[in-house]
Amino acid sequence: MNLARRTLIASATALLVALPAAQASELRVGFTRDADTLDPANHRNRETETLIRNIYDGLVTRDASMNVVPEIAESFTQVSPTTYDFTIREGITFHDGTPLTVEDVKFTFDRMIADGGMGDGQTSPRKSLLGPLTAVEILDDTTVRFTLSSPWPLLPAMLPFQEIVSKDFVEKVGTAGLATQTNGTGPFRLADWRKGDAIILERFEDYYGGASDIPPVGTACVERAIFKFIPESASRVAALLAGDVHIINELPPFSVAQVKANPNTDVMAVNGTRSFFIAMNMENELFADLKVRQALAHAIDKDLIVDRILGGNAVPISGILSPDAFGKNTELPAIPYDPEKARALLAEAGYPDGIDVVMDTTGAYKDTAQAVASLLNKAGIRTTVTVGEAGQLTSKWRTKGGAKSGDMYFTSWGNGSLDPYGIFNPTHRTDDRGNSAGYSNPELDALLDAAAVETDRAKRADLYREAEAMAAADVPYVYLWVPQDLYGVSKRLSGWQPSADSRINLHDACVD
Amino acid sequence: MPLGKLVERLVHLVPVLLGVSLIVFMMMALTPGDPVEIMIGDQNVSAEDEAALRSDLGLDKPIAQRFLIFVGNAVQGDFGLSFYHRRPVSEVIAERLPATIELSLVALIIALVTAIPLGVLAAIRKNSIFDKMATVGSLLGVSLPGFWFGILLLMLFAVHLQILPVSGRIGFDSEVEPITHFLLIDSLLHGRLDAFWDALSHIILPAITLGLPMTAILMRVTRTSMLEVMRQDYITFAEAKGLKRTRIIFRHALKNALIPTVSVAAIETGSLLGGNMIVETVFGWPGLGRLVVESIFLRNYPLVQAAVLFYAVTYVFLNFFADILYTLLNPRVKL
Repeated sequence: MNLARRTLIASATALLVALPAAQASELRVGFTRDADTLDPANHRNRETETLIRNIYDGLVTRDASMNVVPEIAESFTQVSPTTYDFTIREGITFHDGTPLTVEDVKFTFDRMIADGGMGDGQTSPRKSLLGPLTAVEILDDTTVRFTLSSPWPLLPAMLPFQEIVSKDFVEKVGTAGLATQTNGTGPFRLADWRKGDAIILERFEDYYGGASDIPPVGTACVERAIFKFIPESASRVAALLAGDVHIINELPPFSVAQVKANPNTDVMAVNGTRSFFIAMNMENELFADLKVRQALAHAIDKDLIVDRILGGNAVPISGILSPDAFGKNTELPAIPYDPEKARALLAEAGYPDGIDVVMDTTGAYKDTAQAVASLLNKAGIRTTVTVGEAGQLTSKWRTKGGAKSGDMYFTSWGNGSLDPYGIFNPTHRTDDRGNSAGYSNPELDALLDAAAVETDRAKRADLYREAEAMAAADVPYVYLWVPQDLYGVSKRLSGWQPSADSRINLHDACVD
Repeated sequence: MPLGKLVERLVHLVPVLLGVSLIVFMMMALTPGDPVEIMIGDQNVSAEDEAALRSDLGLDKPIAQRFLIFVGNAVQGDFGLSFYHRRPVSEVIAERLPATIELSLVALIIALVTAIPLGVLAAIRKNSIFDKMATVGSLLGVSLPGFWFGILLLMLFAVHLQILPVSGRIGFDSEVEPITHFLLIDSLLHGRLDAFWDALSHIILPAITLGLPMTAILMRVTRTSMLEVMRQDYITFAEAKGLKRTRIIFRHALKNALIPTVSVAAIETGSLLGGNMIVETVFGWPGLGRLVVESIFLRNYPLVQAAVLFYAVTYVFLNFFADILYTLLNPRVKL
């Protein structure tokens, strides 16, 4: 940097400092966790993605009802079961002023799907999120073709998770540089990343406006957006109450009343994408018996717990899928709360005096699990809750076909895409990653496999409805509820809606 | 302090660090929970992709081999890539370290300037109301959970009185160009008094929370040793000579009474680094402690190993300095 330029910047900075800070509209978010990296292709973390998503745009995104809508793409069509064509919108520029081209789109995906595609021997940890995507080719100046090795109807639902990077920029700074430097096409550009403390974003004045299906379209409302990292819930709530931040994520249910009572703050909720359930170890002699599993399901008063423990901020479910998920079976037989019936079922199964069991869970769910346990106790299922740490319980329960040792596991599975594939397969397919119950039903496996590659949407939905009915009959899990994601917000905030995929999109959010 | 002793201490450091690395390595390896599983979380992943990720992180190799690679690289100053940040661990730690050290030092200063006068006062007014209150206070200080005390301070000063900020290290408009990476010092070096006050207002609550148990311990130590010294013959002799009481206390007694205080303080400084983990979480302080806690939960092996080695080195050196201080203050003691 030469002296003249330095002087210019110094005097400009001095001028800026001299102006009262209140002039810049500034939105501050109290967020649970810092980004691991700012490289869109080099992480597997939801919070990291939320942060990146305000700087980078994707080919497609989702509206508030979770429909996939074009963003950088202008439109897309499915040419065949294994081919999709995307037409790229013209006139989009990166933050450094260079125009976005189809080359950048191709480069972005090549970098993710090729072995060693990160350029330093690493393969992108996001490769598997793109399933059987094998090639991205440029058809003309505005069209790219995605080719899959096998039909995979999930592709559009998974693309909002991938952000487009600039080929020139990545080639210039390398994968190492991209971890801390950004050049996106999103509504905000990175001003400063104070590691562990805050990410400071400033409005990108040449923003093309984002998805035209999500009005209002244009540059961001606020000049600066700041994500401030406050991992501890009580401190995050305190920051909101003190007026330090305007939005906080993961508002604990027990703070809802406090935030509502404050005249300057309010609570916003959105149906979450995480299903809660109790896995019953079917390799265990006790739970191999359908009657015992049914007894357990009858012994839990879901409504009571949703009401009293979760503050009413959850929806009970009778299958694994969220009520908002594609292919949800809305006619599943409900298993009503009936402790007498539970006792009777236990007696029929040969346990007239009840049973003694242990339920594993993590610290965050301890209170809820204990409330569930007290209901179980009333029905003769004497339950001890044991708290473990997430990593340890994962290796105990998610054994992928390996032997299991516990009785029950109170846990959850998130499904950001709201497509059944993301939650149904891992939890119910034989020996799959999230099959904590050790459930195995070849007929169900066949249904799930067929649904995974069925490209006719109506037929595919039918397959999942059938699958949910089949699983409900076998009761491998007690399906509990889908909690709402809770946000604490300042009353000065407007134009912001929480999103079901737990992203915090600040494009249209304003602070008065 | 003879140079030979110093070299000897440094040589002793080698087996200590090797032992610490081995223990940390084994503990992380034996703890159930697989980094790859945690990383993938709830997402659908084929077995091949999972294996690819595992080999990318170097976790497909046997534990003994991984340990040898780790030691081999560590000797050359390379602690590997953080699984999550995908950047060198040394770089990630270096970003967080100044905040932790600054907080610890301020906590140490707060502890020293409050504990010593209170301890002396409690000793010279033995059995007075003040002494009894100090005793109860120090008992509370040691036993109050830092987490609870921190939230309490936060609710009072930041939420209700709104005179101090809730969290973070400095306001968003008070950024100063880093020189030493200690914001209190950097802001002064730049002549930015506004930034200095901003940084100070951020550090005050976490530093008090962090320093509380140490304040309590140092106060007890100072009181006890002061009482001990006041019983010595030379104090009686000084009193018999008719010297002024303040002169006896500050010139004759305190100098000797501080010997145990100073060495306890040096050793306890190590515990400040440990206490950081909780305080940093409560006050959103961007330091190393919080990073280490997160990394343990995520089984981010390279980062935890490097951080624990750093803590070990710090402890060893602090103990070393405590010994030196002790010999300086009390020439009768030989190392």
